[in-house]
Amino acid sequence: MDLLHNLTLGFGVALTFQNLFYALVGCMVGTLIGVLPGIGPVATIAMLLPITFHLPPTAALIMLAGIYYGAQYGGSTTSILVNLPGEASSVVTCLDGYQMARNGRAGAALSISALGSFFAGTVGTLIIVVFAEPLTRMAQKFGPADYCSLMALGLVAAVVLASGSVLKAIAMVFLGLLFGLVGTDVNTGAQRFTFDIPELSDGIDFAPIAMGLFGIAEIVVNLERRMSRSGAIKVTSLWPTREEARRAWPAVVRGTALGSLLGVLPGGGPTLGAFSAYTLEKKLSKTPEIFGKGAVEGVAAPEAANNAAAQTSFIPMLTLGIPSNAVMALMVGAMIIQGIQPGPEVMTKKPDLFWGMIASMWVGNLMLVIINLPMIGMWVKLLTVPYRFLAPAILLFCCIGAYSLQNSSFHVLQVAMFGVVGYMFVRLGCEGAPFLLGLVLGPQMEEYFRRAMLLSRGDPMVFLQRPISLGLLIATAILLVLMALPSIKKAREEAFQEEG
Amino acid sequence: MSRLLSKDFLSGVMFIAFGLTALWFGRHLQMGTTVRMGPGYVPHMLAYIMLALGGVISVMALFTQGERTEAPQWRPITMVTIGIVLFAVLFEPMSFVPAFVPAGLIPSLIVLVLIASLGGDEFKITEVIFNMVVLSILCIIVFKVGLQMNISVLRGVW
Repeated sequence: MDLLHNLTLGFGVALTFQNLFYALVGCMVGTLIGVLPGIGPVATIAMLLPITFHLPPTAALIMLAGIYYGAQYGGSTTSILVNLPGEASSVVTCLDGYQMARNGRAGAALSISALGSFFAGTVGTLIIVVFAEPLTRMAQKFGPADYCSLMALGLVAAVVLASGSVLKAIAMVFLGLLFGLVGTDVNTGAQRFTFDIPELSDGIDFAPIAMGLFGIAEIVVNLERRMSRSGAIKVTSLWPTREEARRAWPAVVRGTALGSLLGVLPGGGPTLGAFSAYTLEKKLSKTPEIFGKGAVEGVAAPEAANNAAAQTSFIPMLTLGIPSNAVMALMVGAMIIQGIQPGPEVMTKKPDLFWGMIASMWVGNLMLVIINLPMIGMWVKLLTVPYRFLAPAILLFCCIGAYSLQNSSFHVLQVAMFGVVGYMFVRLGCEGAPFLLGLVLGPQMEEYFRRAMLLSRGDPMVFLQRPISLGLLIATAILLVLMALPSIKKAREEAFQEEG
Repeated sequence: MSRLLSKDFLSGVMFIAFGLTALWFGRHLQMGTTVRMGPGYVPHMLAYIMLALGGVISVMALFTQGERTEAPQWRPITMVTIGIVLFAVLFEPMSFVPAFVPAGLIPSLIVLVLIASLGGDEFKITEVIFNMVVLSILCIIVFKVGLQMNISVLRGVW
């Protein structure tokens, strides 16, 4: 009964004219950047963060969420039609999607991926509705020590599932935590690492760092490579044959289940979901040899999985305030800009925002199916715009966005500085996502750590004495040990090789 | 020699450098006790962790055959950085910029688009001018008219 009440409240908020409008804007922008290679949801959301400051909180979050799942839809379109993944999460879709298109089944591949994504999005939204309340209730029992351990688990898990070297990723988390310290110490008022610059006494703003690390560095790397583009395939009929539909359905259901599960895990999310779903389908199939030659299942399962994962990755962020990937870290940033402290209190104190956002995700998914299928031709045309036009435009929006944060050029200079830092990270093979997670969680983690130590009178054993904290730390330790095991290390490396 | 240029070794060095920087600039921060931590407790702890991790990463890199760091291409990163810095300086005129230099959205937009376009591998002046015109119109519509932001399009004029 409660569930129904919450959903009614949510739809009441989501279906107001203003929120429908921002959901539509988010979905359009998301689809656009999903179609365009060389700019992803992380960079876009980072760029738009300052602008959201001018919007009401619910509208801002609805729009940003729309960008995230809109990008999953848009990415698949270019994968299928031009063999060019718009997003990392749709790399696998290229394998069979483009082959289907070459066999003259482009329309079928597109509609299977759109409808599969819609089904997955619906299930994902339902999962959030069902699990949000119990998880939030559980989180309300957490003390400072428990929170600190939970964040440690979140950070470690994010590192384990991120690609590349584990040790470097851990170092990046700590570097992020270190950058999070800049500013005035909350407990004593002392200035830390502010270099006597008044703008830094409130801490380094999150948005310029994200823009520099993801936006600017990405543009520079793209300018270094020349991009070649192949011609797009014409779309004929959008309808799949009965045989194709019969083969797609079970794959969509399996992909949704796997994607939903992997989305909740810290460090999981759409990319991991899509890759795992493809591998699973290939293993289960009676005809694995047709994979890579235009198998319907190879399009349906990963597309469903990446969308389901995009939805369920909101669960830890909304209920616990713990972001599981870079996009969720940015959503936390957006909430902080709006003056909302993410965590279990959001649901009880701001039920309209919480349920409104969840309901809008379903509405957004519906919009995406409608705007995507008939408008495919227009999106594909956009691909012909050369990158030399896009790069200055993206830079310009970054600069204006950074300026508008506090009407100061200082933030624009910060973007330039973190652009250089981000470029160095790319060249040295250091992942930006763990850094961002550390940066977002850093201030809270220090706060909980100091509070826990104060409550225990300086006894670090408090982290092992509380059952919740102990359980979380054991889970963290198990993850770290598993990583060191040679067999798992090898499997993990192979998985990322396939991805790259 | 080549191992000193591997990605892992250099990133280890980078982490050590960040750790040392944090120690140096945080040297005056009070450590406090474990019960009542001072503002310097967590920074010191993190700095030492950075030093340790950086050390382990760089030492391990010396004993394994790692991926070599690609030489950076200087033009894109330099041009993009210069473009953003000039944008910041011109957008909101700073004290060291002479008063006759035009400031505001349009001048900084022109400079940014021009310099950023020089960072790419293909540069056609007609295309760049076309891009500037389109972006100027778009920015005025979105930021000045649409979002009603408090920015001047051309200082002293609009």
